Amino acid sequence: MTQPSVTVARLLFQQCVAASSKKGNSLEFIRNEISGYLLEKIELAKLNQNVWTKTLISISSSKKDKKVKKEMIPDPFYNNLPLVLQEFLSNKKVKWKNFSDVKIAELISSYETDKLELIHVMPGGSIPQHTHEGIENFLVLHGSYSDKYGIYMEGSMQTRDEDHDHKPIGHPLTGCIGLAYTNGKIKFSGKFSKILNFFTN
Amino acid sequence: MDNTSIFKMKTKVKNPFIDALKQIAAHQDKDSFKMIFDYFGPRLKSFLMSSGAEESIAEEVVQETMCVVWTKADYYDPKMASPSTWIYTIARNKKIDIFRKSRKAVLENIDIAILPPIIPHLEEDIEHDQKFEIINQYLNKLPKEQLGLLKMNFIEEKSHREIAEITKIPLGTIKSRIRLAIEKIRERIEKDKERPDLNNKTRSIN
Repeated sequence: MTQPSVTVARLLFQQCVAASSKKGNSLEFIRNEISGYLLEKIELAKLNQNVWTKTLISISSSKKDKKVKKEMIPDPFYNNLPLVLQEFLSNKKVKWKNFSDVKIAELISSYETDKLELIHVMPGGSIPQHTHEGIENFLVLHGSYSDKYGIYMEGSMQTRDEDHDHKPIGHPLTGCIGLAYTNGKIKFSGKFSKILNFFTN
Repeated sequence: MDNTSIFKMKTKVKNPFIDALKQIAAHQDKDSFKMIFDYFGPRLKSFLMSSGAEESIAEEVVQETMCVVWTKADYYDPKMASPSTWIYTIARNKKIDIFRKSRKAVLENIDIAILPPIIPHLEEDIEHDQKFEIINQYLNKLPKEQLGLLKMNFIEEKSHREIAEITKIPLGTIKSRIRLAIEKIRERIEKDKERPDLNNKTRSIN
């Protein structure tokens, strides 16, 4: 199998962006619909008979699953996250690392490619000066933050690279919760522009 | 059981799979499930194999995708995606999931296929059917070569560079053609959205 151009972290981030952006990321919608359209027009492959039988067997044993996954974490913090993220977090513990003004939880990390983190900046707190390895896409899930480039509201997404030197400060009342998707060095040459385009579109 | 009458009841069925998914969600209706399986199974297998999966893996993904369709049908929202797009997304996620397992990546056990494919709302004031219709119409009229490029990119998951190598079309052209197709669709959706307003507002002529 060839390596898919999408990773778990990226996909999850995209879905969160899509779910959070209030106006709607219509380009992403169209991309998906094109895929759906093409799937309907694709030439048919012959499916082995036993696939249906196997499917029937597995659905009869998968009912229990449904109830487990319906359970949501009864925490107002989680309930405000995009549904995709809630689902993703529903059966795992989030380990927060505490810094003075900010808490960071690493959700997905893969040393060779990319990383997805939940970042919680306390009200009025600031994130220490930091350098980005590769590019960082930051999606504001709750509250807002500001830096010298501007103020960023809930549902907005910013892309930062190594050239950005900033010290973000969380909103004095609400603070800021955001999802950070960092793309490592590996993607720089080939996929870099593709991903950037993808997100900024 | 009134399974057989389900589709006849509707006077005008736009997309039978929307109803089928509703039936699965509400009544765990196996007939509807079979209908979806028969239609999408071979298509999914074809998509998976064209994007590099071996036959056995492709069939495994089809099976798992259908399982998700069965258990997650209540997540399906016709406002957000057409059934084929929803099912396609599940299969794509499953494929990534299996690929990841096979690579023994150092990740916790995430079942990413359970992520309901959330697809953003376009602005609310346009009818959803209309929106899908616009996309269909546009793609139906698209020249074969251009549809081929989209297929290589979206279904076979080839990069722009790979497509350029295969088709011997310059990379820049590939990029702009794919982007243009998406832009054109968006323009059409936007235009369509504006139409109802024209009755109320005085029209400015460009």
